[in-house]
Amino acid sequence: MAIAQAMCTAFKKELMLGTHNFATNGNSFKLALYAEGGGGKSSTTATLGAATTAYTTTGEVANSGSYVAGGVALTNVAPTNAGTTGITDFADLSYTTATITAMGALIYNDTNGDKAVCVLDFTSNKTSTSGTFTIQFPTADASNAIIRIA
Amino acid sequence: MFNVGISQAGNVNVMTSDKGGLTNEQIADLAVDKIVSISDDAPAHIRQQANQFREHLKKVLYHYLLLARREERGTIIQALLSGGQKETAEYIRRL
Repeated sequence: MAIAQAMCTAFKKELMLGTHNFATNGNSFKLALYAEGGGGKSSTTATLGAATTAYTTTGEVANSGSYVAGGVALTNVAPTNAGTTGITDFADLSYTTATITAMGALIYNDTNGDKAVCVLDFTSNKTSTSGTFTIQFPTADASNAIIRIA
Repeated sequence: MFNVGISQAGNVNVMTSDKGGLTNEQIADLAVDKIVSISDDAPAHIRQQANQFREHLKKVLYHYLLLARREERGTIIQALLSGGQKETAEYIRRL
């Protein structure tokens, strides 16, 4: 699969190096959308997974509506503990009046060298046509939060 | 030895629309998904009750979303009428 859901391997090391700060006033993280099978810019196909180390334009969906190359900045929700698990979260994201077909997304650190955080696999193509493309982050708990370290 | 057991990325929920914004039903679904999370490991009777609560909550949210949109349109229509934009106000009223 060209887009495979994963916490990026490089990100795990970078956490220990203090590269990423998810505090509300910390680093700026962005979410970029990607297509498989020629839906992206210049008919390129994204290859994203655990080995992804940084944001790439290959396979990213084209500008449309409020979606712009590189994606929009996420709003950090302060990291916390849920039981013995460390979790962090982001506010939901919506791109409006957009014609987009995306198969997945990459969350990356826009402040620190566009370093990759995690790859999200939508499992099927999601399409908006002159409409809204909304990404809802999961419930911020020990079992579901978008980023969890147990 | 210090051992970090699992580091995982959660699953996002993607909702899309065509030729306009999300419907009331889609927004109600998004809200319910955020409020109610049912564990796969929960006992069957707990899951059943949680699912019933989820359906009830969705109906309540849907009703109030309809109301909120209608009331907001009412406010916009009144503002347009006050500004002499009668045709635009009528167009919005028919949405």
